[in-house]
Amino acid sequence: MAMSKRQRAKVFRGVQYGVLIVAIVLLAVFADWGKIQHAFLDFEVAAKLFPNIIVVALKNTIIYSALGFAFGLALGLVLALMKLSSVGPYRWIATAYIEFFRGVPALLVFIAFAYGVPTAFQLRFDTYSTVMLALGIVAGAYMAETIRAGIQAVPKGQIEAARSLGMSASRTMITVVIPQAFRIILPPLTNELIMLTKDSSLIYVIGLAASERELTQFGRQAMNEYRGMTPIVIAGFLYLIITLPLGYLSRHLERRTGGKKVSVV
Amino acid sequence: MSEVFVEISGLKKSFGTLDVLKGIDVTVNRGDVVCIIGPSGSGKSTLLRCVNLLEEPNGGKIVVNGVELTDPDVDIDKARTKIGMVFQSFNLFSHLSVLNNLTVAQRKVLKRGEKEAQQVALRNLERVGLKEKANAMPAQLSGGQQQRVAIARALSMDPEVMLFDEPTSALDPELVGDVLGVMRQLADEGMTMLVVTHEMQFAREVADKVIFMDGGYIVEEGPAAEVIGNPQEERTRTFLRRVLDPTHHGPGDPE
Repeated sequence: MAMSKRQRAKVFRGVQYGVLIVAIVLLAVFADWGKIQHAFLDFEVAAKLFPNIIVVALKNTIIYSALGFAFGLALGLVLALMKLSSVGPYRWIATAYIEFFRGVPALLVFIAFAYGVPTAFQLRFDTYSTVMLALGIVAGAYMAETIRAGIQAVPKGQIEAARSLGMSASRTMITVVIPQAFRIILPPLTNELIMLTKDSSLIYVIGLAASERELTQFGRQAMNEYRGMTPIVIAGFLYLIITLPLGYLSRHLERRTGGKKVSVV
Repeated sequence: MSEVFVEISGLKKSFGTLDVLKGIDVTVNRGDVVCIIGPSGSGKSTLLRCVNLLEEPNGGKIVVNGVELTDPDVDIDKARTKIGMVFQSFNLFSHLSVLNNLTVAQRKVLKRGEKEAQQVALRNLERVGLKEKANAMPAQLSGGQQQRVAIARALSMDPEVMLFDEPTSALDPELVGDVLGVMRQLADEGMTMLVVTHEMQFAREVADKVIFMDGGYIVEEGPAAEVIGNPQEERTRTFLRRVLDPTHHGPGDPE
C-alpha cells in the first residue's frame, strides 16, 4: 500500500516518539534509582553543604567574576582604543596581547600568574587581587575585540556631528562614541560575563584558603569529604542560578536593541 | 555690509586618485546666504565639508572670520565652535535626549554651566518651534523635527556662520517646508549661511548668491535671479532643466 508523503511523515514521527517512550520506561524500570540518587543527589550530604556553599562558595564565585569582569572591561577598553589608534606601536602591542591571551588556555595563564609572577617580579597580591588580575587579563583580550567592534559600529555621522560642534577627538570618543558603543555591545558583553563566571572555576590552581573557595573548588573539597557527586551537582545548579538569568538578560537586551548584529571576531 | 567672512581660494581636494575639487574660489560676505547647487558628484558637499575641515583639503586656503583654517597650527576645535553644521542625515546623538543634544557641547566645549546651557538650549528649541520636545529622544521625532533640533543644536553654540549640507534631502516632502521655514527665518535674522541644496525655490527666494558647480569646478555664480533665472552656461541650463522639470525629460535625452 502506498502512503502519501504526509502519512509517511506521520508514521515516522510516531516511531520516534515510541522509541523515546521505550527508552524512558526502560530507564525508569531498570535503573537503580537509589544508587543514582546516592551518587548524585544525596539529600543528607546536600544539607551539610548549606549554608557554606551559599555564603562562602557562591558569594566568592560572584565576587571573583565581578572583579574579573570589571578589570577585564577596563583593560579591554584600553586595548580596543589602542587597536584603533593611529599610533602604530599601540596597535601592534594590542594585537599581540589579544592574539596571545585568546590563543593560550586560561588555565595556563592562571598557573603562570599564581606562581611565575610573584617570584619573577617580587610582587605579592592577596587572593582577591590575584583573581581579579588573572581573570581580567584573559577576559580583557576577548572583550577588547567586542568593544572594538562596537566602537566601529557607531555611525560615522555621530562623530562628524560631535567634531563639528568643536569637540576634540578624545572628547568625542568619551562623550559620544563609547556610550553608544556600549549600548550596541551590551548583549555580547553579557555573554562574556557568563563565560567569565564559568572560567572563574579555574582559579583553584592559584591555591585558595577555605574562606576563599569558589563553587567548583568548594564542591571538589566536599566531594572528597563526603564521597559522591552531590556537592558537584549542587555547585552546578548554583552556577545555573547565576548564568541563566544573565543569558535571559542578554537575549532580552538583544531584542530591545532590535537584534542588531555586531560582528564579533 | 560687504565684509568678507569666508574666503576660499584655490581649494583642491582629492580622494585617492579621484579629484573632487579642482581649484575653487569662493567668498561669502557677512550676513549673506550662499546656495551651492549642482549635480551629484559635482563636489558641492565636499566643498562645504572643507569649510569646517571635516574634509582636509589637499591644497588652497580657507579663511573664516580672519582665522586661516588651513594653517597646520590652527586650533580647529576652537574654530569649529563658531561654524555650525547641519547634516543631511541629522546626526543627532541617539543616546541623548533632545535637551542634552543641545547642551552637551555647550557644557563640554564652551564650559557653560548647566543652567546657562539649558537656557540657551530652550531658547533655540523655541526658535525652531520644538520647545515641547525637550525631553524626547531623537528616535521619537519625525525627520523634520530631528533636523530642526539639529539646527537648534548648532545654534546653541552661537555660531557666526552656518553650513547646511542638503538639509532637506532625507525628508519626506511634506516635512521639507518646516525645515526651510526655519532656515529662511535664520537668513532673515542675518545669519551667514552656506547651503548645499536641491531646493531651487529656496535658493531663488533666499540666496544672495548662487554657485553652480559641476565636475569639481565652479561653472557659474552670481545673484540667484541670474544663475537660476537666466543661466549663461549650457551645463547650468541642462542641470536646471532636469531639476525644475524632471518629467519632461527622457533618460536618453542629449545633455
